[in-house]
Amino acid sequence: MDTDEELYRRTRAGEMDAFDALYARYEVPLFGFLLAQLKNRQDAEDLFHQAFMNALTSREPELGVGGFRPWIYRIARNLALNRMRSQRRADHAIAALPEIDVAKSPHDELERERRTHALALAVARLPPSLSDVYQLRASGLSYKDIAAVLEIPLGTLKSRMHELVTHLRKELTSWTAR
Amino acid sequence: MDCSLIAEELVAYCFGTCTDPTRLAFENHLLECGDCLRAYLALKRELEIGPAGGERPSPALRERLRADVAARFGRPRVRWFERRIPLYQGLAAASIAAALALVLPSAIDDLRERSNDRSGAVIDTSRSIPESSTIY
Repeated sequence: MDTDEELYRRTRAGEMDAFDALYARYEVPLFGFLLAQLKNRQDAEDLFHQAFMNALTSREPELGVGGFRPWIYRIARNLALNRMRSQRRADHAIAALPEIDVAKSPHDELERERRTHALALAVARLPPSLSDVYQLRASGLSYKDIAAVLEIPLGTLKSRMHELVTHLRKELTSWTAR
Repeated sequence: MDCSLIAEELVAYCFGTCTDPTRLAFENHLLECGDCLRAYLALKRELEIGPAGGERPSPALRERLRADVAARFGRPRVRWFERRIPLYQGLAAASIAAALALVLPSAIDDLRERSNDRSGAVIDTSRSIPESSTIY
């Protein structure tokens, strides 16, 4: 199986089957990452398109630093940050949470929905520096890749990860309460 | 490690920030406690589904992006008669075509005669032999 870097090079060489394979690898995780940041499907699609084109048309591809994966996430994150600058992220994120219809859901499903809602609310309340870490971790990136995307040392990332866990632990008491 | 401590460490375990002794104790407890195991699996599932619940972009986006990438990087299609071939390949092809044009008709005639002879066809001797075919 070709690596991301090989698919990237082959796409730039005009091989559309390589593009199809690369797109298939990233369509869910990268789009999910953008959608979680922006909370707007149209914006997420626009920036997904832009992130891919920026990566492919780059004159100096930064594949040496961690490879294609952290690089395209870095591009996507920077695009999302630029788009969100005028928006109030936290309010937007909390406002976008769906409501649970208590009357309609059976008990087990209600319990699951409450837990999902508690997690979503906990994530929405995270400060931006920790929200990025959470979104990237939830998108399946390794610690090393996350550090490359955020352009921070691994030690700093580990500190933020501990801080993130502390925040979520406090918020998720409904999940873990006995 | 008991269930109350497991609850404390659940998030840390999912994010990989536990110390090694804590991680081992956590895993040993999960092997024995169904409730804690269920809580862990539920949180793990939520995290794995991802921040946006596994959503993907629309097919229209895929087509638009693919078209843009193809326009920028795709190899242009060349029809067979527009293809440029090296001179030596052209000359070789022409030579082979000329040789076939010379050899094929007589080869076909030979084959016809042989198949007629084998099938016992009657040779018409009433016709005069053309002068060019007369052997002196």
